[in-house]
Amino acid sequence: MNTGTVASELTQLLHQGQQLQANAPAWQHALREQGAAAVAGQPLPGRREESWRYTPLRFLEETDYRLFTEDSFEALQPEDIEGLLIDGLAGDRLVFVNGRLAPALCRLGPDSREIVVAALGGGLGEVPTTLREQLGGVAAGQHVLGALNSALMTDGALVHVPAGVHLDRPLEILHVAVGLDEPLACHPRHLLVLGENAQAQIVERYCTLGESTYFNNVGVEVALGNGSELLHARLQEESPNAQHLSDLQVRLDAHSRYRLVQPSLGGAWSRCDVRVTFAGEQAEAELDGLLLARDRQLNDVHLDVRHAVPRCTSRERFKGVLDGKGRVVFDGRILVAQDAQQTDAQLSNDNLMLSRSAEVDTKPQLEIFADDVKCSHGTTVGELDSTMLFYLQSRGIPRGRAVQMLCQGFAQEVLDNLPGEPLQQHVAKILAQRLAETTHAADLQA
Amino acid sequence: MNLSIKGLKAEIEGKQILKGLDLEIRAGEVHAIMGPNGSGKSTLAHVLAGREGYTVTGGEVTLDGVSLVDLEPEERAALGLFLAFQYPVELPGVNNTHFLKEALNAQRKARGEAELDAVAFMKLVRDKMQLVSMKPELLKRPVNAGFSGGEKKRNEILQMALLEPRLAILDETDSGLDIDALRTVSEGVNALRSPERSIVLVTHYQRLLDYIEPDFVHVLADGRIVRSGDKTLAKELEQRGYAWLTGKDEAA
Repeated sequence: MNTGTVASELTQLLHQGQQLQANAPAWQHALREQGAAAVAGQPLPGRREESWRYTPLRFLEETDYRLFTEDSFEALQPEDIEGLLIDGLAGDRLVFVNGRLAPALCRLGPDSREIVVAALGGGLGEVPTTLREQLGGVAAGQHVLGALNSALMTDGALVHVPAGVHLDRPLEILHVAVGLDEPLACHPRHLLVLGENAQAQIVERYCTLGESTYFNNVGVEVALGNGSELLHARLQEESPNAQHLSDLQVRLDAHSRYRLVQPSLGGAWSRCDVRVTFAGEQAEAELDGLLLARDRQLNDVHLDVRHAVPRCTSRERFKGVLDGKGRVVFDGRILVAQDAQQTDAQLSNDNLMLSRSAEVDTKPQLEIFADDVKCSHGTTVGELDSTMLFYLQSRGIPRGRAVQMLCQGFAQEVLDNLPGEPLQQHVAKILAQRLAETTHAADLQA
Repeated sequence: MNLSIKGLKAEIEGKQILKGLDLEIRAGEVHAIMGPNGSGKSTLAHVLAGREGYTVTGGEVTLDGVSLVDLEPEERAALGLFLAFQYPVELPGVNNTHFLKEALNAQRKARGEAELDAVAFMKLVRDKMQLVSMKPELLKRPVNAGFSGGEKKRNEILQMALLEPRLAILDETDSGLDIDALRTVSEGVNALRSPERSIVLVTHYQRLLDYIEPDFVHVLADGRIVRSGDKTLAKELEQRGYAWLTGKDEAA
C-alpha cells in the first residue's frame, strides 16, 4: 500500500474544504482548525493498524470524492421523500439532503418549542451559545477520519433538551443521499445535549434515493446531564454502494441513562465507532446493534466503553447476520478503571452465518483494573439450525422464507428494543426486504 | 386420502434403519405404529415428512398416487401431510401467531387458494385454540420458547387443527405429558378425526391408545412391520412386551 498516495487523498479532501472552512462562522474556526491540524499530512490508517486491520479504507484511494459544498439543497420536494418516511412516526423531523439542511422538507411542530433545535450550517437561525460551547466538547480520542469530520463538518442537528423537559415524541434526524454525477463526500455533525433530568427519543436515519456511490463521514456527540435519559435509534439504511462511517461519542453524567439501538443494514462498507464515557456514578448505558452483511458487504462496529467512575452499568449486545461473502467486524472494548468499583458490564456478540464464504472477525476485550466488578463477555458464531428449518418447512413454509423468518427471529431481540411500533415495523420490513433480495439464502446448504 | 408405502428402505448417515416396510392407510383410518426403541418408528415419521439427511434407498411412498420421495417438506405439507413432533422445536424471536399465519397461508398459496387476512386468521385461530384449551398469551410468545411440555404438545395439535391435514403423523405425542395434558391433547386429536383424515400414531406405550382408539395396530421391529392387528394387539403388547415379536429382550 502506497501511503504517500493515501495521504494525499485525505489532504485532497481537506484541500477541497478550504473554502468551506473559511466561510464557516467564526465560532467554529477553532474546532475546524484543530481537526485540520490532526489530519494534515497524516496517512490513511492502513492494515498495520490494529483498529483498521479488517476495515480497509481502499475505497478512499479508489474513488475520487467531491466534497458537497453547496450552501443548501432545494431541488427536492416533500413528495420526493415520502417513500422514505416511516408510517406512524410522529414528532418533529429535520431533513438533510447530501449533508445539507433542506428547510422545505423539515417538519418542526409544537414539540420543538420546548427544546432548542439549531443547524450547524445556520439554516435554522443563530446557534445559541450553550450549543456552540459544547460542540467538540465530548469528542475525544477520535481517529483521523473523525478529525476530518471536525475539519469539514458541513451541517447537522444541534439539539438541546433543557433540564426537566420530557420530549414525548421522537425527534427524527433524517439524512437523504441523492445521487449526483460524481461520488460525494459528506461530513454531517450532530450534537445532542440533554439537561438535568431531561428525557428524549432521537431517531437518526441515513437513507438514499437511488443507489449511488457516496461517502458519509458522520460525527455525533451526545452529552447527558445528571439523571437524564436518551433513547437513541440510529438506522443505517444507506445505498448498497455507499460508504458509511460514524463516530459516535457519548458522555454520561451521574444517574443518566443512554440507550442505543443501531440497526446497520445498508452500505457496501460501513463502520461505526462508539465511545461511551461514564463521567458520573450510577449511570447506565445499553447498546444494541444489528449488523447485516450481505454478499460483499462489510459491516463493522468498534466499541470503546470507558467505566471511569464507580457503580455504572453497561450492556452491549451486537448481532451479526451474514450471507454470501459478507463480512462483520466486531471490536468491543470495555475499560474498567481502577476507581470504577462495582461496575457491571456485560458484552456479547452473536453471529449467524448463512454462507460458508462469509467472515466474522470478532474481538471482545475486557480491560479491568478494579477488583470489585461484575463483568462478562461472550461471542458466538453459528449457522442456521437444520431442525428449526425442517420444522418450518414441515408446516408448508418454503425454505427461502423459512431462512428469512429465522434470521428475523435472531435479530428480533435487538429490534424489540427500538422505541415504538412504527420504528420496529419499519426496520423489520427493511430487514425482510434485504434478506429476501439475498440470493444465497434460498439455496443455502444445511 | 390413501397412503401407500411399499418396500421402503431408508438410511441415516449410511446406516440402514428402514429395511423394506409395507403399509397401506386409507381415508379416515387411525393406525398406531408401536415398537421397541430403535425399531425405526421416528425414522419412518421423519422420512414421510421429508427430513433432510434421511435418505430413501428403496421402495416407494405415494399419497393418493403422488410419489413423495422427491418432494420438499413444504410440498408434502401442501399436499396435506402433517407431522406432530415428539420434541416441538423452539424458535426464538419468531412470534407464534406470525408463524401459524405464515404456515397456513403458505399452504393455501401452494394449493392456489386465497390467503387469509389478519382478521380472518385471528378469528380462525381463536376458534381452534378452544379445541386444545391453549392459553391465548402463548400466541404472543415466540414459537414454543419457554413453553411447558404440555403447552408445546398443545401447540402442535393447534397447528394440526389449523392446517387441517389429510394425513397427520403424531410422533410420540404422549411423551412428556401428565394425565391431564394427555387427556386434553387426545380430545383435541379425537375432535379432528374425520372420514377424510387419516391419522398415524407413533407410540412406544399403549397408554395413548386408551384415549385415541386406533383402527389398526402395527408393530415395527428392526425396520419392518412384523405384526399387524386391531386394537387388541396393543393390549397384548402391554402385557407381553415386544420380545415375543422381535425375538430380542428389550432393555426397558
